[in-house]
Amino acid sequence: MSHDSGTSTGSREPTNRSASTTSRRRFLAGSAAVGATALAGCAGDGGDDTLTVGHVLPTSGTYALLGESIMNGFDLYLEQNDGQLGGYEVETVQRDTSGDTDTGVSITREFLVEEGVDALVGPVSSAVAIAMMQTVQQESSAIWLNANAGDYRVTQDGCMDLHFRTSFNDWQTSAPLAQWVYDNVADNVALSYADYAFGQNSKTFFQEAFEEVGGEVVDEVAAPLGTEDYSPFLGDIEDSGADAVFSFFAGGDAVNYITQFSDFGLDENLTQTGSGFLLSEDTLPAQGEAALGKYSLLHYTATKETDRNQTFVSNYSGEFDRQPNVYACQGYDSAQALDVAASNADSTDASDLAAALSGAELDSPRGEFSFDPGTNEPLQSMDVREVVEGDDGVENEVVATIDDIELPDWGCSL
Amino acid sequence: MLAEFSSVLRATMLGVQLGMTLALVAAGLTLIFGMLDVINFAHGSLYMIGGYLGVTVASQFGSFWLALLIAPLAVGVVGAAIEVFGLRALYGRNPLYHILLTFGIAIMVQGLVVEIWGGQSLRIEAPEMLSGTVSVGPVQYPVYWLFVLAISTVLIAAVWLMIDRSDLGILMRASAHDTEMVDALGIDVSKVFTGVFVFGAILAGIAGVLLGASRSVSPGMGFGVIIEAFVIVVIGGLGSFKGAVYGALLVGLVTAYGALIAPSVTDIFLFAMMAVVLMVRPNGLFGATEAA
Repeated sequence: MSHDSGTSTGSREPTNRSASTTSRRRFLAGSAAVGATALAGCAGDGGDDTLTVGHVLPTSGTYALLGESIMNGFDLYLEQNDGQLGGYEVETVQRDTSGDTDTGVSITREFLVEEGVDALVGPVSSAVAIAMMQTVQQESSAIWLNANAGDYRVTQDGCMDLHFRTSFNDWQTSAPLAQWVYDNVADNVALSYADYAFGQNSKTFFQEAFEEVGGEVVDEVAAPLGTEDYSPFLGDIEDSGADAVFSFFAGGDAVNYITQFSDFGLDENLTQTGSGFLLSEDTLPAQGEAALGKYSLLHYTATKETDRNQTFVSNYSGEFDRQPNVYACQGYDSAQALDVAASNADSTDASDLAAALSGAELDSPRGEFSFDPGTNEPLQSMDVREVVEGDDGVENEVVATIDDIELPDWGCSL
Repeated sequence: MLAEFSSVLRATMLGVQLGMTLALVAAGLTLIFGMLDVINFAHGSLYMIGGYLGVTVASQFGSFWLALLIAPLAVGVVGAAIEVFGLRALYGRNPLYHILLTFGIAIMVQGLVVEIWGGQSLRIEAPEMLSGTVSVGPVQYPVYWLFVLAISTVLIAAVWLMIDRSDLGILMRASAHDTEMVDALGIDVSKVFTGVFVFGAILAGIAGVLLGASRSVSPGMGFGVIIEAFVIVVIGGLGSFKGAVYGALLVGLVTAYGALIAPSVTDIFLFAMMAVVLMVRPNGLFGATEAA
């Protein structure tokens, strides 16, 4: 019944660190108690040439795989650059949020106040991101590289100059697919989604965009997060008479939904489309043949045949003995963004880093993208992928790439 | 009208199937409590191990049937180990010890599963001969789901008969009722206890494999199912096999109809139902009427 598995021992675990300046950091942490807000300047002021990065990511619980992939991607870039970003030695600290909001906020606070980190990487969960906003803003002592949490409200409600999405927002993984579905699949759809903020946002964004291009939404079906048996929901979809479905489900939900969609024979009359998390590297092995012929939209596709991506894939699989997923790419790009920011700024001060990264362009495995100077959202192309038979099970194949997507700014203007 | 009828029919079939498979898990939980007086929090983990071993056997040997045979037996071995090396030392002590031990085991198993199989969702490949759908009235229903419904029902009926009619069943009930007397009659009660625990583990393992091909196998499944199983056992009456079966059917049907009517409050409704049963009949629906 409960989707979250809950083995959270995170808050009691010691902080993992990967460089050797511990005692000095402890000293700094001590002095932080006295002059908390001055801390961000420490690195620059004291001639400290290290860049401290705090990973606010889950390594246990439902999102453990995502957190680990982001860290792997980050480490890969770091290793390729001899442990340096923008000329600074990098020290990373990491604590397990286990995907929990309160834990995430307290880790953020500890990283900012006691560890004096220069950059935050994470979180995975949007709920954690929204809860972190206030703390990051208050301290204003670190640049925030949002390596996954895609909720548009971080930009709408936060609109922070320190916040950069090295990942995506939930509008991007849903709305741009509407035109393509209307042109290539059907002019009417049913919508099905996991009933929580991200699923609701994705559904709404797609619906708005689909109706704008002239399509009709004939039914919508909300299944609680963590639903295991979708047959009642699939029955609704089947009875709606729609020609296609747009869905948002992720992780185990995506596996259950897609396999049961196929088990119940809905493939015969309906074309399944969705946000990329519905049919991603971490769900496809379990979905197997049930996923064949289904379409989804995402900013990164591991099978994309560009030189930049092929190099990334072979480096990553050489290092970690598995294929990269979208989260690994986002972790990699977080390190890359920090590299660009630090070398352009020639400083580890948070506002210098942010100013240097605003509008900057990154040569990502997903394709080149830049940060919108108005919102710090990534301006990126999106891939429409179809699941096909591959050499080793089923895989995504890019069938179209949507360029020059105009992003909403949600009232944010930096 | 036709659409509504088919929705109800579809939900009913799901509800009964869910009920029968959950009964496999709840039966073990309630039998173990009835005989051993142990609240086994690790029972969901046994179900999960069944699912994961099923994935491994099915992918190694390419046979669902082999998985359905081997994985539950292996879960039985795990169950034996837990009973012999863990619980046995704690019989007769404060039940809190049982809860702490089995809860600890559940957390350990979850950690181990992530270490061995990773955090992503997996699935058992259902056999080719059970693929596709059949028409049941106006509803297209997957053959495999009907198979799960059938095999779970047959198993539950067999267990019921065994407990109710066979000598083994009498021995089990007698051991639970008056351990000392059975012991005095020259029967090794500790073997009966191990047997019951292993039996419960095997049933949970079977459920893990059966559902592992229609749902995903993931590290959270153990805790998910143990909560459902507890709701069932509390509603049906702790220790009552009959109660577990009826409780499971009730929970299965409520879950399925709930998804049709008000998906977001189904869980709340289940717990409310449990609370009402506890207030009106604190021993559960069948708790007082059945000795075992």
